[in-house]
Amino acid sequence: MRKVVMVAGGVNKWGRRAANFRQLAAEAAKACFDSNPNIDHKEIDGFILATTYAERTGVQVHPAPFIAQIIGLQPKKLYMRVENQCGSGTTAIRTAWWAIASGYVDMVMCLGVEKLMIPVHEEIFLNAASAMDHDWEGCFGLTPPAAFAMAAQAHMRKFGTTEEQMAMVSVKNHRHAMKTPYAHHYERYKKHGPVTLETALKSRMIAYPLKLFDCSTNTDGAAACILASEEKAKELTDKPVYLIGTSQVCLHGSWQKATYEWWEWPALRLAARQAYEMAGIKPEDVDVAEIHDCFTISEIIEYEELGWCEKGQGGKFIEEGLSDYGGKVVVNPRGGLIACGHPFAATGIAQAYEIFLQLRGEAGERQVKDAKIGLNHNLSGLGEHHIIIYKRGFD
Amino acid sequence: MGEEKAEKRPYYFVLDLYPQEHKEETRIWEFYENLKQGRFTTLKCKKCGHILWPPEVICPECTSDELEWIDMPPRGKIYAFTVQVGAVPLGFKPPLIQAIVDFPNGVRVIGPIADASPEEVKVGDEVEVKVIEIPPDAHGDRVLFCFKKVK
Repeated sequence: MRKVVMVAGGVNKWGRRAANFRQLAAEAAKACFDSNPNIDHKEIDGFILATTYAERTGVQVHPAPFIAQIIGLQPKKLYMRVENQCGSGTTAIRTAWWAIASGYVDMVMCLGVEKLMIPVHEEIFLNAASAMDHDWEGCFGLTPPAAFAMAAQAHMRKFGTTEEQMAMVSVKNHRHAMKTPYAHHYERYKKHGPVTLETALKSRMIAYPLKLFDCSTNTDGAAACILASEEKAKELTDKPVYLIGTSQVCLHGSWQKATYEWWEWPALRLAARQAYEMAGIKPEDVDVAEIHDCFTISEIIEYEELGWCEKGQGGKFIEEGLSDYGGKVVVNPRGGLIACGHPFAATGIAQAYEIFLQLRGEAGERQVKDAKIGLNHNLSGLGEHHIIIYKRGFD
Repeated sequence: MGEEKAEKRPYYFVLDLYPQEHKEETRIWEFYENLKQGRFTTLKCKKCGHILWPPEVICPECTSDELEWIDMPPRGKIYAFTVQVGAVPLGFKPPLIQAIVDFPNGVRVIGPIADASPEEVKVGDEVEVKVIEIPPDAHGDRVLFCFKKVK
């Protein structure tokens, strides 16, 4: 198996964009190409498009070849579209990894794009419901906020986790995003300043205990990255970032198949163990992490299942500042899904790109000092988790 | 009445948030037929005894397709619930009380709670199934289940 290196990345401006999904994709591709002038895009022989709602907001079935064409790629070895809802981006990177590691292809671009903002607000949530189990969950109008709200209540009941602690995750991630110009809420901070605990706690209820500021933001956005074999990467960069561990676990798709206690996420615990084992590291070795804060409670439970604190101590972990700069592990330095927004399939790739910048020491104001190992996590439901671990390949 | 409505209104698959329930559309049509008779049922594997939820056409435990319909226990208990006032899809009116209900046969079912205000619901409450009508599809009338509190 060949070693695989990330050699380029880029993100476009996220928000309610006056652009369609093709144009969003092209913007991210250009940012990615521009990030590494050593790459001739005509040499890229693999292309993986991650997108969830191409059919619903594109409206485009079979989107991969059209996006490849728009950005000037003519892949000669592989091209495909992948979709695992919120884990689509991570899935694309993992898929590219295997294709390169096997020796089949030398350079692959992964591009995640999502057009979520459409004129009728309720249609956005029709799309959200469509990713739940259609016949047994979506048919009740159930969308992710209500589902995660029930997980939050289970955690509160079992461990005494509070709404304040959840709000602290939102405050932290919004504070981080004040240094992320592409974030959905970036302009808001210029006008209204940082999001305070009071603002978060007083925001309108979505599904108890989750309020507006506990939820990630629907947004339009795209992100791209390029992976290459170690040998090819030597021609392209002197600051390689290696992919050293990954895992993907799917115990169930439907929420009601989670017949265990909802304050524990066994699929994530298993995914974490597998990824750490493959990377040959321990949880405490992670310097910087981009994890799936689709809701504040998710980030709290993830601290626990990723092994950064004891089970049930996630609330305390945020309260004591251990997931912030100067703590044990800097979590979501770009501002997470809550503050950057969550264009589903673009999220995993934007997170990976943030880890790439952090490990190369190129994250500017957001830089985590001397970050050597970074972890990226996505989930697509209680039973579906995706992890990739990256390591700086130079000193 | 239902067939008449179905004939007049064109049916678009992509806009339908509800399951297709009829014999012409699904192999588990009996679930909905039973529901119309007021029976909340599911499938049990004849080979390994596993109780399926949701009902599908093969047993996920042993892959057998020899399955039989059984009645679900009459009552379940609320494991957790929430009141969904935001993020409500087209075609639904808030507030929706969404609940996770555990049945004594080990089956966990998600569904909304009807005929109750949010203040009347609490974790541990006993609920039973209530059958509601939903818009017809190309093949006629449809029903769905939800839960109501046991008085």
